[in-house]
Formats: sequence, C-alpha cells, structure tokens
Amino acid sequence: MNDIFTFDSMSSGYGDKTVLKKLSGVIKAGKITALIGPNGSGKSTLLRTLCGFSRYSGKLALKGREVSSITRKEFGRSVGVVSQQVNVKLSFPVYEVISFGRLPYHGLLTPVSPQDDEVISAAAEAAGVTHLLFRRIDELSGGERQRVLFAMALAQQPEIFLLDEPTSALDPSQSVRVFSVLRRLADKGRSIVVAAHDINISIPFSDEYIAIRDGSITACGSSRELKEDVLEPLYGTKFERYVSSKGETAWHPLKDSRHC
Amino acid sequence: MNNNSASLAEYRRKLRSKRIMLGVCLCILLAAAAVWRIAQGEWNIPLARVAELLSPSLPESERTAPEAIVVRLVRLPRFLAAVGTGGLLAVSGAVLQGVLVNPLAEPYTLGIAAGAAFGGALGFFFGSLAVMPMAFMGALAALWLVNMIAWKGGGGSSAYIVLAGIVTNAILSAGVTFLKAIADDKLGAIVLWLMGSLAGAAPLSAAMVWVGSAIVLVPAFILGRQLDAVSLGEGRGEALGVDERKLRLVLLCSSSIASALAVSYFGIIGFVGLVTPHILRLLIGPSHRQLLAFSFLAGGTLLAVADGAAQWLGELPVGVVTALVGGPFFCWILVSGRRTAK
Repeated sequence: MNDIFTFDSMSSGYGDKTVLKKLSGVIKAGKITALIGPNGSGKSTLLRTLCGFSRYSGKLALKGREVSSITRKEFGRSVGVVSQQVNVKLSFPVYEVISFGRLPYHGLLTPVSPQDDEVISAAAEAAGVTHLLFRRIDELSGGERQRVLFAMALAQQPEIFLLDEPTSALDPSQSVRVFSVLRRLADKGRSIVVAAHDINISIPFSDEYIAIRDGSITACGSSRELKEDVLEPLYGTKFERYVSSKGETAWHPLKDSRHC
Repeated sequence: MNNNSASLAEYRRKLRSKRIMLGVCLCILLAAAAVWRIAQGEWNIPLARVAELLSPSLPESERTAPEAIVVRLVRLPRFLAAVGTGGLLAVSGAVLQGVLVNPLAEPYTLGIAAGAAFGGALGFFFGSLAVMPMAFMGALAALWLVNMIAWKGGGGSSAYIVLAGIVTNAILSAGVTFLKAIADDKLGAIVLWLMGSLAGAAPLSAAMVWVGSAIVLVPAFILGRQLDAVSLGEGRGEALGVDERKLRLVLLCSSSIASALAVSYFGIIGFVGLVTPHILRLLIGPSHRQLLAFSFLAGGTLLAVADGAAQWLGELPVGVVTALVGGPFFCWILVSGRRTAK
C-alpha cells in the first residue's frame, strides 16, 4: 500500500469549533510530507487528528483502518508524535524521558532492558543529546528540550512520525540535524508528516507538501515543484525565490507595504 | 554494549544504591518511631515486656491484663493507624500530583475532605455512630459530583477536574459552616472531629486505613510507568500509547476512595499528602514507582512522629503538628535546594 493515511470529507476541530473543513487527500508512505500554511490554518489540528487526539467526522484511515477504531497502545507502537510544546512538568533526568519512548513495547511491570538502553543511547546520539543524558530536563534550554523530546519519539521506533514545529526552538545547525535524521528515516521507509513554518528547511528535505489555509487544502504535490504561485496566496505575501549554487531553492518574503 | 549504554547502566546502579540507602534510613526511622510510640507513654512499660506482650504466643490469660490491653489495643493500633493514614495520604498526594499534572494537588483536591466534613458533620445530628459512615458517603458523593462536572464539562481534562474540585470544596465548605451554625451543643464535637486526630484509633480502623493504602498503592504502583508518562504533561502519555482518560479515572477513584476512608475514620489531616511527595522528589527524583514506595514509608513515619508529638503536647490536633513542624522544614528544603541548584 502506498498511502499511509487516507482521508475523505474529514472535518475536525475543538469543541464546537470546526477547524478542518471536509478535507480529502492522502499521505504517502515512505515519504516526508511537509504541511505548510499560515498561523491558525489547521496544520496542528490535522496532525492531532491524524494521531487520533481529536474527534473527526468523515473518513480517516491509517493503513486502511479507521483511526477511531485504533487503540492508544497500537498508536503508541506505530506513530511517534513530537508536539510544539517543550514544557515538561516534572524534573525527570533526560535518559528517563527518552526511555519513555519504549513504553509502548513494555508490559505494565516490564523493566527497561539492556536492549532498550541500546535504543535509548542511539536515539540520544541521533538527536545530539548524548551529553545531556544525566541532566534534569527542567534545567535545559527550550532547544535542548525539543531535541530530547525528538529523541523520545526516535526511541519509540515507530513506522510513522508526526511532528509539529519540531525545530521551532532550534538554531539552523540543529534544525538541519533534525531534518537530516528525518530524511534518513524516510529513506529507510518511515513515513513522516511535519508541520514547519520555516519552509526553507521543511521543503528542501521533504518529498511532498500539503498547503493548508483556513482549514482547507489549497494545494498539494511534489516539494520540488512548489512555486510562488502556491506560496503567495497561501501566506498572503510576495516571495522572491533564490537558487543556490548547489541547486537548492529558498524563498524570501518581501516587504509588504500594508505592514509598514 | 556501547559507551552510552554502559554509562546508563552505571548511572542506574548508582541511583539504585542511593534509593536503597534512603529506604534503609526511612526503615530505621520508622522502627525508632515504633519503639517510641509503643513502648513509651504515661504508663512506662519496659521494652522487653512490650515485646513479650506483642508476641503472638502470649498466653490467653495475660491478654486481658491492663498492660497487654494498653499495648495491644491502644498503642499498637494507634501507631499502625498513624503509619497507614500517613502513608495513604502521602501516596494519594503523589498519585494526584502526577495524574493531574499539578504540583498543588493533594488528597483533598477533589473535594474529598469537604465532602467527608459535610457528611460527618451531618452525622453528628443522628448520633456519633452515624459519623463515620456518613463521612465516607459524603466523600464519595463529593467525588461523584466532581467527576460528573469534570467529565460533562471538560471531557475529564485535568484542569477541569481541579476546577470542579475547587467548586465542590467551596459549596460543601459552606454547607459545613451552615451545619456548625445550627449545631448548638454538638458544635464542639464537630469542630474537634474536623481537626483530625488519631486518639480514637482501634484495631478495626487501623486495619481499614491499611486496606485503603492497598487500594491506592497497588494500582498506582502497577501503572507507575504510565503515570510517569502522563505526568510529563501536554498529552505526552497519549502519544506514548497510554489511555490517559482511563488511567486518570482508575487512579483518581482509587486515591479518592482511600483518602475518604482515612478522613472518615480520623478526620482531616492536612499537609502530609501535599508535602511528602515534594520532599521525596527532591531526594530521589520524580519516577512514580520509587516515589510511591518511599511516600508510603515517609508519610507513615512523619504522621507517626507527629501523632506522638501531638499526644505529648496534650492531644493537639495532629494536622496542626504536621503543618507547624513540616512547613518550615519544607521551606528550608526548597530554599537550600534552590541555592544548591544555583
């Protein structure tokens, strides 16, 4: 099967408020799909709905199974979620936070095994937090916490990753590191959906994009083919495109006289 | 095994030794408290004699001797009731702080104390025998009310549960005040009961609080890792495959029923459930399995010692002693912890 998620006339929101309005589309397996769109467009709501956190109407299937019929335990084993919140309420050591990624594979009284330790240290290394393993998470900066929570999702070893602004608190080098890890995972067959405001990092690393505005999909397709004719109506501002000597594309939003 | 895995294993070994040390210290303190509370009193009985009197092989004829009655039916039940109640309150506090992701949560957050107080105060109008069952029913009614408001209003989210608890507390506290206003000659008895005391502990009530401890400790210990994940906050438990609503329902009900048992037998004893888990988190970290076990030991020891002090000071309400001694101690730990962190 080439589609990991399929949705048809799917609506979702919070309480009585409908955010996503009758969306139809697919998320392809083994690819990185970038969700792009302005603030409040519904990217986070789509991610929350895909991972079963929000109620929906219409059809939404994960590998052919209706999402509402999938248990939390099954989700825990197949979907890793990284939210944009970096607050952690209690002062757990970093290694313990990452070890929670193994929870879906454990029985109620199963202790952390040496094999789990191998997975935890590999996840920490991939996310670049090995040097923080024995620090308390509440002592870390926002960016460091974000990488720790990314490592927790890696330790989950899921088939699908859903990430909401996973690099919002990271510097450019760490952002590239996170997306490089995602790229490697996608090349190994994992399916990844990532919402990120920084299109200059999410688009070059992704295979597909879905543009959302006001709860509706305005465009979708191959990231290589994304052009200003999609971006400008999506964000309501002009963009200038630059192509680097290595052939990588970047967009720069232009000054808008309405905001000056 | 790579270097990181080896250092993880080494770190865990060190952590385990630290926890064993703390466990041994707490057991020694508890044993010392037991000796003090059972051997010492207005009637000084030598320790060797106390041991004889507590022996299961004590001849039947000696069991009705006054000193045997004092040790076996007065001092031992009171000590066991103090340990069971303190342990139960501390474990319930740790569970509620974790499951509601709220450091200010305590066993009485869900209106249990106010419900028990209202039921108990009402019970005084029907005779003293009605106090305990009515207090228990009052606590359960408050729990039902909080759950109903929270689940219907906010789908069982922790913020709604806490808000529903605050509202229920306010309504039932007003009810208690009303009952006190019309109590006439029963006012003294109601006020004394509300302040909480272990002076009337009997073998049955001591056994019941231990049953209550098991009601909260066993499920919370089994679900400890899931509780850890939920206590990270922001719905991370759900993302890790935990059914947060189900976990919350199981743990809120078990900890509240257990607290309701303690309150209905011994009144409202504050402070232990709020502060013991905080002190222990500073010492051993927030992992719930360890926290729950140590909370039981530390809460039990704290209340046994506080009860001894309350008795020594002329049967003061034990909650007053726990707050007066433990409050400043907790402040000192917070301040010194912050200095160390800096």
